[in-house]
Amino acid sequence: MKVIKFQHRSCFKWLLRGCSLPLPPKTGSEYYTRPNVVQTEMDEQGCPRCKTTKYRNPSLKLMVNVCGHTLCENCVEMLFVRGSSNCVQCDTPLRKSNFRVQLFEDPTVDKEVEIRKKVLKIYNKRDFDFPSLREYNDYLEQVEDIVYNLTNNVDVENTKLRMEQYQRENRDVIQRNKAKLTREQEELEELLLQEQQSNEQRRLEVLQEEQRQLQAKRKNKQALLDELEQSQLPATLLLAQHKVRAAQLETQIEQQKQAVKPTSLFSTGIHMRQTVSLQPVTKIEDVLYHYRPLQVETYGPPVPELEQLGRLGYLNHVRAAVTQDTAGGYTSGLACYRAIQDAFSGLFPLRG
Amino acid sequence: MFHNSSQKKYWIFKSEDELEHMRCKANQKFRNKALESGKKPGVSESMFLQRHEEDVLFRHYERRLLEFCNAFKPTMPKSVVGTALMYFRRFYLSNSVMEYHPRIIMLTCTYLACKVDEFNVSCTQFVGNLVQETPAGQERVLEQILEYELLLIQQLNFHLVVHNPYRPMEGLLIDLKTRYPTLESPESLRKTADDFLTQAAMTDAGLLFSPSQIALTAILNSASRAGLNMESYLTQCLGLKEEKETLSKMYDSMRRMKTLLKKYEPPKLEEVNISKQRLERIHAEFASSSNKRKRGYEEDGHVAKEPRLVEEEWTDEDLI
Repeated sequence: MKVIKFQHRSCFKWLLRGCSLPLPPKTGSEYYTRPNVVQTEMDEQGCPRCKTTKYRNPSLKLMVNVCGHTLCENCVEMLFVRGSSNCVQCDTPLRKSNFRVQLFEDPTVDKEVEIRKKVLKIYNKRDFDFPSLREYNDYLEQVEDIVYNLTNNVDVENTKLRMEQYQRENRDVIQRNKAKLTREQEELEELLLQEQQSNEQRRLEVLQEEQRQLQAKRKNKQALLDELEQSQLPATLLLAQHKVRAAQLETQIEQQKQAVKPTSLFSTGIHMRQTVSLQPVTKIEDVLYHYRPLQVETYGPPVPELEQLGRLGYLNHVRAAVTQDTAGGYTSGLACYRAIQDAFSGLFPLRG
Repeated sequence: MFHNSSQKKYWIFKSEDELEHMRCKANQKFRNKALESGKKPGVSESMFLQRHEEDVLFRHYERRLLEFCNAFKPTMPKSVVGTALMYFRRFYLSNSVMEYHPRIIMLTCTYLACKVDEFNVSCTQFVGNLVQETPAGQERVLEQILEYELLLIQQLNFHLVVHNPYRPMEGLLIDLKTRYPTLESPESLRKTADDFLTQAAMTDAGLLFSPSQIALTAILNSASRAGLNMESYLTQCLGLKEEKETLSKMYDSMRRMKTLLKKYEPPKLEEVNISKQRLERIHAEFASSSNKRKRGYEEDGHVAKEPRLVEEEWTDEDLI
């Protein structure tokens, strides 16, 4: 295999990405700086042959071929001037026509996408072609196996044979499905076209309206000028008339704008005034909630209420609250209440 | 409140025998563990501490704890001291002094009690109170405290709220002043009641009776010392006139508590020294083999510290 000189650290990373197996990082620092980040910076991706990058030439396009290796446009031109040559990295014979613009970061992904397209042209059965889900899944697994084998150059001969065999056996099914697919695609395209057309129409209508309004205004102005020229009536009267006419025009325009075309359909497709029957909600009969105050067993004599403490004389024996304390909401009753509660809690021995 | 606290549910026991049983179990557990893991030469049954020796050591370190707290700067509130003592007591209910050395556990208990009771002391300020140590020595102590903190919390079964009898005593005094005019000056009872409570904290009373009962006993005791009769308080104010059974039970518990206090005797110095020597030997034998470095406080990426084989153990004299 040709040895590629590592001119720049980015080249090494590019090579890493080209491999199907993840290589362990070379140094500890690399592991920490780029754990899972995909390099999308402009100066990282480059052509392996001429080493130009998107940074140096922003209009650079990378092309992928069937072997999974990339080349920039210029290199393709140069190398494949004769129409066919060997790949720079893996030496497989390639044709110039097989080069496609790279869509994905990783050229192997592009390669796989191409292979998948070709395979699915043959293996185009759908889920209703199979009697059970299990069989459909088995079929899908088969397809994935084939794609994998072809992408990673595993057992290519056998896989190709298998594909040919399948093609021969299921020729009519393939044809049928192809036809179906095209029909569906056509229908979709028709719908899209219709939508586009209606959009266009609406746009045109709006434009036309605007034009008409502009014209009406202009006509009005022109009429005023003409009248000022020719008529015998005084100028103020003419101006007043003109103003009235302009106001009328304005209201007309406003009304038109606000005249919404009454539709009979909601956007979800339900007709207006169509009653949708809902199932009656089952009534749940249950016992009414009855509030019972919380009973707590304190195992001691009853504690007087917080509000009663002052009246009962407890507060005389507690340090009175300073103004600083009351600012925060503290009252001497709180401390007294807590002390009494603590004194009486658990005072009596437990029963039994 | 105490009546629905974890203290009442899990940490109030029926009798002293139950407590003694638990402590024996802890002792036995350590013995089995040591014998199984060790099988080293020089390890014999006679090396282990007996129950009464463990008890001596426990009482000795309890006193140390109290002295440490009393000499603490800034002044430690009584509830923190009470909480620390309770933690210490609860910990050694299910663990043996042979397994965890009391001098570390006692500082950990105090540290945790400061945190729980919201008596905010920074850890450096805390170890700064160990006046006999150099700053490096204080650092080492701090590390040890932090290591054992999680273990302590776990052995307390995460029940960290402790109800002490100090506030109930205040409440009872307020109640006496308000509702019991027969007693002229309840304030005179305060000093003796306080002493009673401090003494009670050094006994198992906290594990057997509720704090309000301890406070009531303290007050009744100091009243009887002063020659005043407070029976009518119980019958009238607390509404126990009709409940003869409850009344008799209460008197019973009070008597039990007083016996507990009377039974307490401070440990004798010679006994303490002998037991301490044996304890040090046991710790030297078994602590190094079982590497109890709890790595709970290291951040990720930090290189693990190697266990320091040459450890300058700080001794008791480093405390006040």
